[in-house]
Amino acid sequence: MDASGVYFISYGGDRSLIRTRWQWAALAVFMLALVLLPWLAPERWVSMGYTVFITAVAVIGLQICTGYAGQINLGQSAFMGVGAYACALAISRWHVPLPLALVWGGVAAALFGSLFGLSAARIKGFYLALTTIAAQALFHFFALNLPQKWFGGPGGVHIEGARFLGIDLASDRATYWFSLAVLAVMAAGAFGIVRSRHGRAFEAVRDDDVAAGMMGIDVTLTKMRAFLVGAFYAGIAGGLWAIALRHVSVEQFTLFTSIWLIAMMIVGGLGSIVGALVGTVLIQLAREGVAGLGTALAQTFPVVGQEIVFASMNVLLGTVVILFLLFQPKGLMHRIETLKAAYRRWPFPY
Amino acid sequence: MEFLNYVLNGVLVGQLYALLALGFVVIYRASKVFNFAQGELMLVGAFTVWTLVMASGLPAAAAVPLAFVAALLYGIVIERLFFSRLIGESVFSMVMVTIGLVILIRGLVLVIWGGMDRQFPVLLPTAPLIVGELILPTALTIGAAMTVVLASALWWFFNRSRFGLTLTAVAEDPATAISMGVSVKRATTLAWMMGAAISTLGAIVYLNGRSLTLVSAEIGLAALPVALFAGLESIFGLLLAGAVMGVLQALVGAYVDPLIGGSASSIVPYVFMLFMLFVRPTGLFGWRTIERV
Repeated sequence: MDASGVYFISYGGDRSLIRTRWQWAALAVFMLALVLLPWLAPERWVSMGYTVFITAVAVIGLQICTGYAGQINLGQSAFMGVGAYACALAISRWHVPLPLALVWGGVAAALFGSLFGLSAARIKGFYLALTTIAAQALFHFFALNLPQKWFGGPGGVHIEGARFLGIDLASDRATYWFSLAVLAVMAAGAFGIVRSRHGRAFEAVRDDDVAAGMMGIDVTLTKMRAFLVGAFYAGIAGGLWAIALRHVSVEQFTLFTSIWLIAMMIVGGLGSIVGALVGTVLIQLAREGVAGLGTALAQTFPVVGQEIVFASMNVLLGTVVILFLLFQPKGLMHRIETLKAAYRRWPFPY
Repeated sequence: MEFLNYVLNGVLVGQLYALLALGFVVIYRASKVFNFAQGELMLVGAFTVWTLVMASGLPAAAAVPLAFVAALLYGIVIERLFFSRLIGESVFSMVMVTIGLVILIRGLVLVIWGGMDRQFPVLLPTAPLIVGELILPTALTIGAAMTVVLASALWWFFNRSRFGLTLTAVAEDPATAISMGVSVKRATTLAWMMGAAISTLGAIVYLNGRSLTLVSAEIGLAALPVALFAGLESIFGLLLAGAVMGVLQALVGAYVDPLIGGSASSIVPYVFMLFMLFVRPTGLFGWRTIERV
């Protein structure tokens, strides 16, 4: 809902995502702050920053697949893994230029993901979620057991000297800017997708697939498309992850990671791209914060072992996720939207 | 003879899967919730058994029943805290809560018991049972017998007893069940109690004398395909499905693994699950209510 007094006299204006000058200004300031952050903030923030950006790409993909199209996906981190391996192999073995390798990672993950989305042709609901668990198991099996020459077995794959536009991506700062740029592109793309014909089809299928079918939407194809897009985003995130860590191995992509991605999406709010970003930032910062606090606590009170403090993080965040599901199932973004609307209408109730 | 041995061992392992899947099915039958935290439920049960038997110094005969009482309590707590608030909500959010439970329970286990490896108590004899040329693990054999007994009891409960039938009614259509005077709350509580207790039994059979870590929870997921193969509502079907899956896995483990030098047997359940989902999503004996597209 726009504030009172905001109206448009052209179709283009009515369609625009960023609607007022103030929004443009806020976005510009925000982006500038993000770009300048590596110079202003301590080293640690930079590495934290790119972790958040990369995770955000994967969560946006999950948001499209689960939040918009309503298909529970427990294999997002396996899809990330496929992208990471594909990208790492392309860079280190075949010496493909970085942007191409990244896209190739996305495409590989999308192919793998749509393979599991294919079962949407036969089944629906939670049964579909089970196939994504199978995706996780199969990814682990293939990465570990195919010949060592292919995926490096348990050792994984190393990336040497990823370069982009002549800049070596070995430093944390370079990785930060690169992943920020990719996230910006992917987020913009996601806004486009969810407003498009396909995005509206996703929502229709999520809300009622029988009705959606009656309206002429090809339900099966739409579900597969949702998996395809979600897995593509995961693949891009995986590729970034491989570039950032310069090493890919299976343990980085477990079912538990997928579950965390779902948790971020829930906290942010299902069915909102901004929600995916907000949820990722909040949960990642909370994890980092608790970890930092944990180290400090463990030093002050040596009685409380460091392990216990780290473990309590899981308890805390698990509780937060469940509390969100119980009391704020639509997530933070919904709460922010209602607050915004209430502020605009004040003092009137509606 | 070697072949027969593999097959029999497969059947026994399959019954273990069936036992773990039973915990899943019981919850599903009473509340239509896919419990993704099944492995974690087993983990809590396992750690409780470990604490009571190894750490508290109680005799096993007293500790094991206590562990089951504790499991029943866990079921009540989970239902009271989370699922009683979700009655009438969509199944989607209930399933999401079980995903949150995975994180929560893992964290709790880490906080309370720490991350180190532990030796699970030997509650069932470990010496193999030798019949002629056949060598069978005793723990699994006893476990298989318990699975059959338990499945029979549960079958009677769900299909013959009045209370069990109310659970079935809740699973089929909660709204109608409420309007007919069935307490959905009581049904879900009982389902989670049974689910937790069965998981504890599964832990005793599975982990007997092995090391216990967070990774042990993964067998919970390997049991899912068995439940699916049987058809999620079927109880006796689990025994057959477990046996088929176990034999399949044992044979792949015996004849394919050496060929490719890898653990192909570990993905058998998942490949089988994918196959089942395509060919017959209702499983062998499930209610034919799964909506096909």
